Amino acid sequence: MIRDQRREWVAAYLLILPFVLIYGVLFLWPTVQMVYLSFTDAPLIGPGKWIGIENYVEMFDDRRFWTSVRNTGYFVALTVIPNTLIGLAIAMMVSRLKGWQQSVILAMFFLPYILPVSVVYRIWNWMFDLQFGIMQHPIALILGKPTPVFRTQWLFMPSVAFVTIWWTCGFNILLFLSGLRSISTDIYEAAALDNASRWTIFRRITWPLIWPVTALVLTIQLILQLKIFDQVYLFVQGGRPDPSMVMVQYIYSQAFQKNEGGYAAAISVALFVIVIVVSLLQFQFLRARGEK
Amino acid sequence: MKNLFKIAMLSTVALLSVGGVQAKEDVVWWDFLSGGDGVRMKALIEQFNTEHADTIEIQPTTLEWGTPFYTKVQTSAAIGEGPDVMTYHLSRVPLGVQSGALAEISTTDLAGVGLGPDTFAPANWEAGQSDGKQYAVPFDIHSIILYYNKDKLAEAGLLGADGLPTGLDGADNFTAALEKLKGGSEYALSLQTSGDGTPWRVFYSLFGQQDGVFLGDDGTFFPDESIPKAVKAVETMAGWVSGGYAPALTEYEGSVALFTSGAAAFHINGVWEVPTMTDLAAKGELGFEWGAIAIPTFFDHPATWADSHGFAIPNNVGKEMTPEKKAAVLEVISWMNKNSLAWASAGHIPAYTPTRESEAFKTMQPNATYSILADTAVFDPKSTLAGVASPVYDAVANYISPAMNGELEPQAAIEEMKADLQDQAD
Repeated sequence: MIRDQRREWVAAYLLILPFVLIYGVLFLWPTVQMVYLSFTDAPLIGPGKWIGIENYVEMFDDRRFWTSVRNTGYFVALTVIPNTLIGLAIAMMVSRLKGWQQSVILAMFFLPYILPVSVVYRIWNWMFDLQFGIMQHPIALILGKPTPVFRTQWLFMPSVAFVTIWWTCGFNILLFLSGLRSISTDIYEAAALDNASRWTIFRRITWPLIWPVTALVLTIQLILQLKIFDQVYLFVQGGRPDPSMVMVQYIYSQAFQKNEGGYAAAISVALFVIVIVVSLLQFQFLRARGEK
Repeated sequence: MKNLFKIAMLSTVALLSVGGVQAKEDVVWWDFLSGGDGVRMKALIEQFNTEHADTIEIQPTTLEWGTPFYTKVQTSAAIGEGPDVMTYHLSRVPLGVQSGALAEISTTDLAGVGLGPDTFAPANWEAGQSDGKQYAVPFDIHSIILYYNKDKLAEAGLLGADGLPTGLDGADNFTAALEKLKGGSEYALSLQTSGDGTPWRVFYSLFGQQDGVFLGDDGTFFPDESIPKAVKAVETMAGWVSGGYAPALTEYEGSVALFTSGAAAFHINGVWEVPTMTDLAAKGELGFEWGAIAIPTFFDHPATWADSHGFAIPNNVGKEMTPEKKAAVLEVISWMNKNSLAWASAGHIPAYTPTRESEAFKTMQPNATYSILADTAVFDPKSTLAGVASPVYDAVANYISPAMNGELEPQAAIEEMKADLQDQAD
């Protein structure tokens, strides 16, 4: 049979056209617009005057911008690796259970993940409440006295990170669990026959074989946590917004509170670049580790 | 078949006649009044709708006070989806005009419904202007007052012969009074001590009592000679917390609860909490006798922070207002002002002069006790950085509240606040 090459091309283009169109209109075009906006003095809505790189010059001089970059980095450090490790640890424990027990326990760990962030905020604001919060008992044991964690500067980020891990861990557990299930039991049986210790089994079998999943979880987490906004925004209400400002929050405040659309776009571009650079670096690093 | 035809004819006639009544104008209304005053506003709106049953219907929506409200107004106006009329803080008019959220209201139109410079206090009327154009119509003047627990004050011997608190003027006398009240309750004074809101209002009052200048004519925040005055105001507020008289790091709702539960003898808050007290007392749930007076004079002369609720029309881009709609909106604004005596029961002082000077208002309690503050009011600085949900409010949460709680030195707090605001202004 002679195939009509041209017709195949046409069919192929027709089939990917809807995706390309939607991607272009809903993602590429707005991104181009955002970059363009960052070179103007536009308000929140409507066009502005071209002012070249003025927004970027201002940004490098803006101490609140640097505070927000630092805080975002700090939050990423507090969440990405701990969240991944805790997810793996819980997944390994859950994978030892069988049948309905596993389902029930898994559901319990997954439950927080389906909650909207406002509910998470409500729950934990009560748990940490200075007068009535149940968490004040352990806090009083550790710090010597009940402490309003979301009003104490040095405790703010760690507390928000803690709540975030509680909230999002369920999804990582799910990913790890499916990874663990795909490791053949034959390998474990062989190791057991060789009298390998638990730690050796983890070190030599589980960890290397689960690495692709770990790399995936780390990447997802990194990108997700760099975009932190909701939790910090909610928990800081009624407190001091500036010292714990994160990047997306700063974009929000510039655009929606101060009506500085152009400047907010410049910060967005900065965040965009940071996300791309950091995830590329991480990807390279993880690949290098994986090939070892 | 004949019947069916009849029914069809009848329903057509019915439809047509309904169409005739459709001249009724809907007015979409947004406000941010959700507390005790919100209840009173809803009653006013209902009364309006009943009186205008055939002509105008207000369709009210209450949104969250502060940043959420103003963000929504700005974004919805920009795409022509804003309401027809909304409540607006006069302190925020400069910011609202700069961000293009407000539509000008012509003074001829306002005069047509009996509103103008002569029906409001001059400063109040002008607060709704920007560059000489009118963007908002005042509705009330509201301020902060000192609520007190009569039983506790009587115990401590702080009530005068007239039954009103006495001996509170002067920063030292006030502290001495707090000391006397300390034993009788958990806290002598409850007030919001975190975030913005009350900390700003109290600060601005104490600052105004020393003639402090917040924003100089040359655009300088806290000109040099005003820095010591600002520091003194913050030190006084911080002293209440560090002296154990007022609770640290307490949010708005908590500060109200401390007073209504009887755990605090004094409470500093806006006049808008008057209905909360009135309603609780009427239900017999308060458990003590309450009263309210103007904020005492701590320094040189009486002065109290004040702001105004007003009405404004959003600049709905791409959506021209029909003359009928405009007439309906003007009627709403005018009717509300002319019936603002009911609004005074929400604690506010009516902006509409005929109401404010009526006998009925002059005898209304507790408003009459503190209505003096209308004369000593210091309004928010006129700047695009000031007003509700503005950078100034944020700066209060960032610097003044921490200083109240001893996390920052008052001197450092004021200097950092000055630098921060100056930075944002330039």
